[in-house]
Amino acid sequence: MSAVLAIARRECRAAFASPLAWTLLAGSCGLAAWWLLLAVDGWSQNAAAIAARPDAPGVTDLVVAPHLASVCALLVAIVPLLTMRSICGERRDGTLPLLFSAGAGDGQIVLGKFLGAFAIALLLVALLVAMPLLLAIGTPLDFGRIAVAALGLALLAGALVAIGVLASSIAHHPATAALGALGAGALLWIVDAAARARGDVNGLVNWLAIPSHLTAALRGVLASVDVAYFVLLAAFCLVLAARFVARTREDG
Amino acid sequence: MDAELVRAEGVRRTHAGRVAVADLTLVLARGEVLALLGVNGAGKSTLLRLLAGVLKPDAGTIRIAGEDLLANPSAARRLVGYLPERTALYRELTVVESLDFCLRLRGWRGAAARAARDAAIARCGLADVARRLTGVLSRGQQQRVGVAQAIAHSPALLLLDEPTAGLDPVQAAAFHALVRELRSAAAVVLSTHHLDEARACADRVALLAEGRVREALPRERFAELEARFFAAALGARAA
Repeated sequence: MSAVLAIARRECRAAFASPLAWTLLAGSCGLAAWWLLLAVDGWSQNAAAIAARPDAPGVTDLVVAPHLASVCALLVAIVPLLTMRSICGERRDGTLPLLFSAGAGDGQIVLGKFLGAFAIALLLVALLVAMPLLLAIGTPLDFGRIAVAALGLALLAGALVAIGVLASSIAHHPATAALGALGAGALLWIVDAAARARGDVNGLVNWLAIPSHLTAALRGVLASVDVAYFVLLAAFCLVLAARFVARTREDG
Repeated sequence: MDAELVRAEGVRRTHAGRVAVADLTLVLARGEVLALLGVNGAGKSTLLRLLAGVLKPDAGTIRIAGEDLLANPSAARRLVGYLPERTALYRELTVVESLDFCLRLRGWRGAAARAARDAAIARCGLADVARRLTGVLSRGQQQRVGVAQAIAHSPALLLLDEPTAGLDPVQAAAFHALVRELRSAAAVVLSTHHLDEARACADRVALLAEGRVREALPRERFAELEARFFAAALGARAA
């Protein structure tokens, strides 16, 4: 376990030693803040009309939930950039033999890389979820629902990080890894809509799609099957990534 | 220098259908410096990677201080320090942080890790640059950091893959002096293309060609090796 934690720690350190992680965090927060301001502005212009309705939805429904839904799309785009160098960078810099000769196993290397990138992704999720919480200063919010949605976002971030680590273990260039992870994440996102367009609403393809397991969480309901989906998706990607690291080791 | 430290027997490794190391047998004593001499593709780097436990042999056994590298890899790897051909450095870490990371990877913690780190820094003459990023150091200093990473956990066997490649003659001479100094603590296997380097550091030279040890001669017979090395090199080039 010490090797896993050492690798994870170095991964975080490496990310923040370059401008990339700072830029991604700042850019994501800036974009999310802009979206949130637009949503708050739209809500405040219609607040009187909404309040007059008998079962008027609250700020959590009209501002926070849409904000968190747009954060999902942001994660699909940003996480591949966080993970693109994780294993691919080690291969290019020639540092993998250092890990191999120190006795770090293929699974330990992959797990360490995953945990390091996941920690940064969680920081991003925390920052993006904290933004709408500021609205609590002026209006009541459904904190329970936001907490469940945050958990859903954390699970999504974990699965996307695992996909990114897998892409990085296969690719020979970080840009290729980023494109591969972005493509896989986007595919898992849109495949549900594509299946629905063909009339499939309860098939395997729908089940494999990320939105099928996230929409309920964003509404404040997190089923164990949805948690299992994200955990299994991440585990599958990490096991596969370990196989690719083993192949790199064998290829010398 | 007579106690046996490494025994590799019948070691074979193929890569992409080509035999990189063929039924190789090698014995190394404690405190001995062995130079692996050979042209590119002779199998030197593959042999070092096998001894480091980075690669698994297709056949044969490797024992380091009695520990079987295949049956008990973690115990055997603890006894080995490895400097790859391309020095493995994290450029965003300082020298101190690099050594701390290597020691943590091997499970070292606290005061023992700090003492081991400081000893490696002192031994490799890195005290002046200990707080600098490895990415901004000179090639010679980076190579010393690589050695410090390899020796920080006090290995009994040190494997150096072409350690002076890319160094100028002054840096190379300083590196040879460091290797001679390190033999008091560990047996050393270094790979090189240069007979002069073998002469400067080694007690014994093994001439490798096509994954086999063609000759293994002690220091006093190095002169005999020169003609054979060039003959082997020219033969390999002609082939």
